[in-house]
Amino acid sequence: MSAAARSAGGGIDLPADIQRELRDLESRGDALSYYRLLGLTADVDSPSIRRAYLEQSKRFHPDAWYRRDLGEFGPLLTKWFQRMAAAYEVLSDEETRSAYDREHLSELSETDRLAVEQRALSRAEQDRREVERRARLLRTKGFARVGAARSLYEQSLTFALNGERMHAIGALKAARELDPNRKEISARLVELEREQAKARAASALLSGREREVQQNWAGAQSAYVNAFQLDARNASAALGAARSASAAGDAQTAATWAARAVEIQPDDIGSRLLLAKLLAAQALKTRARAELKIILDKVPDHKEARALLKGL
Amino acid sequence: MAELVIGIDLGTTNSVVASVHGGSPTVIPNRSGYRLTPSVVALARNGKRLVGALARRQAVTNAERTVVAVKRLMGRRFSSKSLQESLSRLPYTVVAGERDDPRIVLGEQHLSPAEVSAMILTELRLDAEAFFGEPVTKAVITVPAYFNDGQRAATKDAGRIAGLDVIRIINEPTAASLAYGFGKTALEKQIAIFDLGGGTFDFTVLHMFKGVFEVEATGGDTLLGGEDFDARIIDWLAEPFKEKHGIDLRTDKMALQRLRDASEKAKCELSLLKQVEINLPFISATPKSGALHLQSTLTRDQLEKLTGDLIERCLGVCAQVMADAKVQAPQLGDILLVGGQTRMPKIQDAVKTLFAREPSKGVNPDEAVALGAAIQGSMLLHEESDMLLLDVTPHSLGITIAGGFFQKIISKNTTVPTSAHHVFTTVKDDQVSAKITVVQGEDEVAAKNELLGEFMLTGLRKAPRGAVDIDVIFDISADGIVSVSAIDVQTGVRQSITVTASSGLTEDEIKSAAKSNEDWMLGQKEDPDFQDRKAKAEELFREFEALWPRLTRAAQNGLGQEPLQRAQAALSVARLQVAQKESEGLAGSIDRLERMLGALKGAVERGLGQEGR
Repeated sequence: MSAAARSAGGGIDLPADIQRELRDLESRGDALSYYRLLGLTADVDSPSIRRAYLEQSKRFHPDAWYRRDLGEFGPLLTKWFQRMAAAYEVLSDEETRSAYDREHLSELSETDRLAVEQRALSRAEQDRREVERRARLLRTKGFARVGAARSLYEQSLTFALNGERMHAIGALKAARELDPNRKEISARLVELEREQAKARAASALLSGREREVQQNWAGAQSAYVNAFQLDARNASAALGAARSASAAGDAQTAATWAARAVEIQPDDIGSRLLLAKLLAAQALKTRARAELKIILDKVPDHKEARALLKGL
Repeated sequence: MAELVIGIDLGTTNSVVASVHGGSPTVIPNRSGYRLTPSVVALARNGKRLVGALARRQAVTNAERTVVAVKRLMGRRFSSKSLQESLSRLPYTVVAGERDDPRIVLGEQHLSPAEVSAMILTELRLDAEAFFGEPVTKAVITVPAYFNDGQRAATKDAGRIAGLDVIRIINEPTAASLAYGFGKTALEKQIAIFDLGGGTFDFTVLHMFKGVFEVEATGGDTLLGGEDFDARIIDWLAEPFKEKHGIDLRTDKMALQRLRDASEKAKCELSLLKQVEINLPFISATPKSGALHLQSTLTRDQLEKLTGDLIERCLGVCAQVMADAKVQAPQLGDILLVGGQTRMPKIQDAVKTLFAREPSKGVNPDEAVALGAAIQGSMLLHEESDMLLLDVTPHSLGITIAGGFFQKIISKNTTVPTSAHHVFTTVKDDQVSAKITVVQGEDEVAAKNELLGEFMLTGLRKAPRGAVDIDVIFDISADGIVSVSAIDVQTGVRQSITVTASSGLTEDEIKSAAKSNEDWMLGQKEDPDFQDRKAKAEELFREFEALWPRLTRAAQNGLGQEPLQRAQAALSVARLQVAQKESEGLAGSIDRLERMLGALKGAVERGLGQEGR
């Protein structure tokens, strides 16, 4: 039987609507936003995102059609389920979701763009009310302050659960002011702030990579620098900044970043080689030679380093 | 009728088999009538293979040829630190195999841990077949969530050796949650599972919504379990004895086995009592003072002091997993306790304090895992199921990069199945091969993580350096098992990949082990009376066949379908017993068939009438 005849439904044990959706995804799925992929509009709240993903999983997870004859749809099912899982991963965290919204605003449909803006507006409104409420609570006097702190703490837990980390942090800060002695408040605050910095750094790193691929060197550099500021132990961020500065022709800045990358990961040959090249480009021969010697100490038969050293 | 599939909880200390039967998950008792089968394999003095309670019972007198806690050896390298630590407490001998894999010495044989586990699985399979009267080939087997790729692959190999089609490997805590959530698909709830078994600890946070079970985060410790609690008692008994008599009982294999049994018994009793007596007469002897006895009183307080740090380690894991899941203890809707060790009152108290609530009593800690495995089997194979499990990978997966660093390719707690790409570029002119080292773990230094294997990319296209890009694809299946493939980006040609370092069994080894296991199963059942019984049974089959047309007529004329159905069921049981050479069972079937035949003949003679008994 020809492939065309089989795809018409003969012998394939998968409901027609899912077959149709998979074919549709294959033809235009790459252009869909994460929201559309999960069958959502961009204004939904966090619990709805999770529910939509779980509902889609019931239909697209390969286990739902375990050991059935799926023909050519088998690999498609796996592929699109994985895409949906990746979309959910991004949209389920407030930080990565806002970063996604910012980065992809131009690609969103008109309605979704409006929805994102609407959501931003209503969030601003919600923020304002939150701030007011906290200010009111902060004026609490005497023993009631401990109670107010507890209620803020509990509220922060709910926020954190819904992926609204910024609100959670705001509530915790107010709670700490009301009741500075409660250890779990400050502990949770530190934890959330670290989480936030990490999530932000990760999303900045991601957009750096995206822009690097698009050869938008200035944009990439600023994203990488941003990632590094959020997470100063992130060698990939420093190296990315060095790469993009170098590509943009700014050897001096690039060398500074490469040196940072080398500092974080002294054993990484790639960063050190880049640093040596950048130093050589600025005619800083002594320093370049020193770096190359370190490489050759670690990897004696490194041809490129040897050739460069000879040239100097 | 729906295809039979069993769920197996292959535990460190005990194993359980279950199945979804008539719409509800049920534990299948073994042929001795018990629901738990000890995970013990022994080679008796007469050369017979013993599994389960029989093996356990003779462990004291035959300690060197009795294999306990084989799960601790599964999928580990012989030289690894964790394996060496486990070995110091095991009474039997383990040697290194050709690929740095542990081999258990049992009489003349050197067996892989997978082969020994296969013996336990075979026993459970035979129990299920005896229960259903039908062959059973499909199974879901559980592993600790924190098991890595090698340990999962070894478990799957064990299943294949036991002649089972392992349709899925699932995580124990997730399985327990399925047992908890079965029939409650309307519920939306976030729950946690605290699973402290005989050898491993796992903690998992999971979200239930309309029949979908979404694992949010999981973590654990594969070398922390009930047996470590026992070990503390063993040391507590052995140390003062050593001081007093200068004899270390732990180096005497028979004494160690007695200490082990006594410690486990004391530990279990202390879950109910405040103190217990430990009495081990004639535990050792010296030429000077003759026979030595060990007698001691252990209180619950003492035990709690001895094991306090183990409980602390569990709580540390819980905190990490809750941070990964971005959840706080008071938000959880329910806490499930799974694994026999969670019966310890101190652990229940610690859990209660940490989560500020009573743990759920909704599941049986010994049976929930096997029941959940059975549910997952039925979810996968039976169409009417409306449940789905979204599990995650417990470890990050990555490769070793320049400088010995770990580059993460798939993060822990990613939903499986999942895949990720990584592009390698040649670094030398005309480079024809490249080595990829795949590791699993969270440490930035690759060597501190678990090595999964080394892969050689061979036959690369000759070209200037940098001109060849190889897209390497890492897949993690729903079983949590990793596979690697590679494609030349420029030409689209699939690259060959060879595994150059792996401690797993080869395909040939698995096949030959499966063959010898099958031979054992057949040989085991040969009984001197079997041939006679088989002839008698076959004669009965022919008589039933001859009578059948008249019986169907009688059924329509008032006899009814029921006696025929009953006869048919009895016949299929007997046929299976013939095929599997179950001599004793067959004798019973012959009796039953003879009685049925007599009664049915009478009924047919009378035209219609009474059904056969």
